[in-house]
Amino acid sequence: MGEFELTLSSLIVVVLGGLGVYLLLPRGTNSSDRAARIVGSLLATISLVLIASNFGDVLPNKTNELTFYLLAAVSIISAVLMIASHNPVISALWFALVLLSNSGLYLLQGAEFLSAATIIIYAGAIIVTFLFVIMLAQPNGAAPYDLHSREPLLSCTAGVILAWTLLGTLHYACTEESKPLSQRHAGASMAALPSPALVAKSLEAQPESIIRADKGHVDNLGRTLFLEHYVAVEVVGMLLLVAVVGAVLIVNRDPAKLTAA
Amino acid sequence: MGNLPLLNNYLSVGAILFTLGLIGFLSRRNLIVMFLCAELMLQGVSLTLVGFSTFHGSWGGQVFTIFSLALAGAEAAVALALIVVLFRRNETLDISLWQDLREADQPPVLDEFEADQLEPETVYPELTRSGVLPGQGGLPPHHNHRTIDEAIEEQRHEPVEVPHA
Repeated sequence: MGEFELTLSSLIVVVLGGLGVYLLLPRGTNSSDRAARIVGSLLATISLVLIASNFGDVLPNKTNELTFYLLAAVSIISAVLMIASHNPVISALWFALVLLSNSGLYLLQGAEFLSAATIIIYAGAIIVTFLFVIMLAQPNGAAPYDLHSREPLLSCTAGVILAWTLLGTLHYACTEESKPLSQRHAGASMAALPSPALVAKSLEAQPESIIRADKGHVDNLGRTLFLEHYVAVEVVGMLLLVAVVGAVLIVNRDPAKLTAA
Repeated sequence: MGNLPLLNNYLSVGAILFTLGLIGFLSRRNLIVMFLCAELMLQGVSLTLVGFSTFHGSWGGQVFTIFSLALAGAEAAVALALIVVLFRRNETLDISLWQDLREADQPPVLDEFEADQLEPETVYPELTRSGVLPGQGGLPPHHNHRTIDEAIEEQRHEPVEVPHA
């Protein structure tokens, strides 16, 4: 397939998805909205299937592959429903589903610690968001600003352009990379990727004490985090402290004093 | 070096999640939903980082994801504090009411719906009408050939004369 056809086909797929999301975004309460939502979900599903058809069957294990497709589909569909739902509480629930399937994807990639950490940290975040929604929610049903999106067409256009550049580049790079070297387009390969020899050399160059093959995943991750990146850990800890102090300061300002000044 | 098509799959999912978060952030007007959409974008980036980490067989991507989790925590604290302050001042979560914060020379972006929202209609409580109209000399109601509703309509159209004290 030529360069142009590749670009055009990915553009068509992404535009289909963007149109679907545009139709799904909330625009008023009238019942004619229902038809738009059905058409939108159809279009988004078609686009998702077309994108998934570009995925190669890549995993050595068939069960792993099925799990990947399932988790990815759940993640993306929940994300669409999250930005399309009329009620912030429902949005938070869909976001929880996105997080669950994402932690499944981490697990599938062998990142056990991150999978657990995502669930633990974001469970708290979701509960706090729930509290906020309940605390600040409108007592009489959905608020008008939840039923009307702001410039849905423009934002979907921005999303389509972003997704097209990202997915098109990915797809193009992947097809070019899988070709033998002689057939590659000049400059089209993932030039930034280091050669295998270089990677092996850099792995050898790492101090023996940091990565140890006889230790487990969490052990090695902790070693990398606290031996190689200890300054960054300190900085992030400081940042968290400053953020919490700032949050307390922002909330405790007296609004009456602010308007008087 | 890992499996290139596998990396492509994870990067695609991450890119789609990021794009959906962007669309939601730009188009939704509820502050809390916008906050959730920002978190969704972070999730897409985290997935990408973990994908690269697995592909290169290095721990850097996962360490970076741990940092992004911490940053998400800091961001959540400040964002929720701001949401509370904004809600206190306006009693609404609508972001478009805060367009006063735009640059001084920018025109306001108001669609029809937003213009309606800016000046909420004052709704007074509806009371049950009963008794004798004021200014009728205390006549019993059957002497009055107007119904009470008609009298109220008339009074509404006539200018009210306020006697000087």
